[in-house]
Amino acid sequence: MNCDDVKDLLRDQRKGSLDAPTRVAVAAHLAGCADCRQAGAVEAALDEALETRLPRHRLAPELEQRLRAQLGVAVPPESAPARPSPAHGAAWRAFATPFASALAAAALVVLVLRLGAPRPLDGAWSLVDEAVSDHLRVVSTTHPPEIASGGVHQVKPWFTGRVDFAPRLAFAGDDDFPLVGGSLGYVLHHKAAVLHFRRRLHAITLLIFPAEGLPWPERDVVRLADRPVVEQEARGFTVLLWRDADLGYALVSDVNRADLEALVPKITPAR
Amino acid sequence: MTTPRPDGFAREILGHAEALYNHARHLTGGDAEAQDLVQETCARALTNAHEYRPGNLKAWLFRILRNAFIDARRKRRPEQPLGELDVVDGGDAEPLRDDLELERLRGLVADEIEAALGALSDDARAIILLDLEGFTESEVAQQLGCAAGTVKSRLSRARVLLRRQLKDYAR
Repeated sequence: MNCDDVKDLLRDQRKGSLDAPTRVAVAAHLAGCADCRQAGAVEAALDEALETRLPRHRLAPELEQRLRAQLGVAVPPESAPARPSPAHGAAWRAFATPFASALAAAALVVLVLRLGAPRPLDGAWSLVDEAVSDHLRVVSTTHPPEIASGGVHQVKPWFTGRVDFAPRLAFAGDDDFPLVGGSLGYVLHHKAAVLHFRRRLHAITLLIFPAEGLPWPERDVVRLADRPVVEQEARGFTVLLWRDADLGYALVSDVNRADLEALVPKITPAR
Repeated sequence: MTTPRPDGFAREILGHAEALYNHARHLTGGDAEAQDLVQETCARALTNAHEYRPGNLKAWLFRILRNAFIDARRKRRPEQPLGELDVVDGGDAEPLRDDLELERLRGLVADEIEAALGALSDDARAIILLDLEGFTESEVAQQLGCAAGTVKSRLSRARVLLRRQLKDYAR
C-alpha cells in the first residue's frame, strides 16, 4: 500500500468504514509515514471544523408553523403556539406559495386515498415504529428538552416521580456523544424516559422503558456488548433495541449504523 | 420496511425539516430563499408521496430539495449554463498539508468556515454538506445525479477547494 492509496482511505479510516485487513494495512503505513500522518491530521482538522464550528441553522418557529399548516400536522399539545408568520418579499415565494399550499392540500387527499389502510400492528413493527415516532417528536420540536443536561447526575434524578421505574444509564455523555437533555415519552402506552444525545449534527434519542409484557422483535438480531440487539431500519432511521433485565432500551437516529452501535456498550456495558 | 401511513408520513417529513432548512440555508446563503426551498420541497414531497419507496426518507427529501434548488436557480439565472452546477473545478494543485495549515484549520471561527463554504461552486458546496449530513456515497450519487464511483473523487476535490478558500479567509 503506497501513500496515494493510504491518502484515499484516510477518511474511511476515520469513519471506521474499512474492513479489518485494510484498516490494519493503513494503520501500519501511517505508523511509518510522517507525510501521510500529516495528511490525516489535516483532513481530521477539516472534519472537526465542519462538524463542530460550521453554524447549524435552526428552523424558525414561524417556518415550522407554516410547514405544519402545509403538511397538515397539528401542533403537539405541549407546544405553545408560535408567533404569526411574517411576510417575506421574495417574488419566488409569491409565485410558489399559493400553488404549493393548494398542491399540498390536494396531495394530502391523494396520499390518504392512495396509501389506503394503515399497516396492521404486529408486535415487532409497532415497537420499532413507536421508537421512531418518539424520535421524530424529539427532533421536530423547536422547544428545548424538558430537562437540559448538566450531566447525567442532573438528568437522571429529574425522572424520579415522573416515571414508575428507575432508568439505569451508565453513560453520562462524552465528546463524541454529548448528552443534551431528557424528556418524557411513551412506548406502547408505557411511560418512557427519553434521553437526547447528539453525534456531530445528528440527534440520537434513547428511550428507556419497562419491557415486561411488550412484544419483542425476534428477527434482525446481532450481538453487541455481549447481548442480543435488534437492528432494524424504519422510515430512514436506524433503530437498535435491547433489554437489560426488566428494562427495554431503544436507540434511534439517522446517524450511520456504526456510530449508533458504538453507543450501545457505553449505555449498558457488557455483562 | 414499511409502507408509509397517511397519518404519519407528513409528520415524518416535518421531522426532517430542520435538516432540510440547514442544508437549504447553506446552499442558498439566505434565509428567505432557504425557507422558500423547504416549503417547495415539502409541497413536492406530498405531491409525489406515491413515488416514495420505504427506505431513507431523509435522502429522498434531500434529492427533492436539490431538484427544487436547481429549478429555482434556472428561473432566476436562465443565462447560467447548467454545466456550471455540475462541475467541481479541480483548479490548481492541492495546498500543502503543513503545520501552518493545521494550525490555521484549528483556529478557524464559524463565520470564516461558513464564508469559505459559501464561496464554493453549488456542486462543491452540496457534496461537502451531504457528506457532513452522513449520507452514504450511493445516496450522495443519487442526489447529485452522478455515478457512485465518482463521489469520492468529487468530494476529495471539493475539500481541496474548501481548504484553498479557508487559506484565504483565515489570513
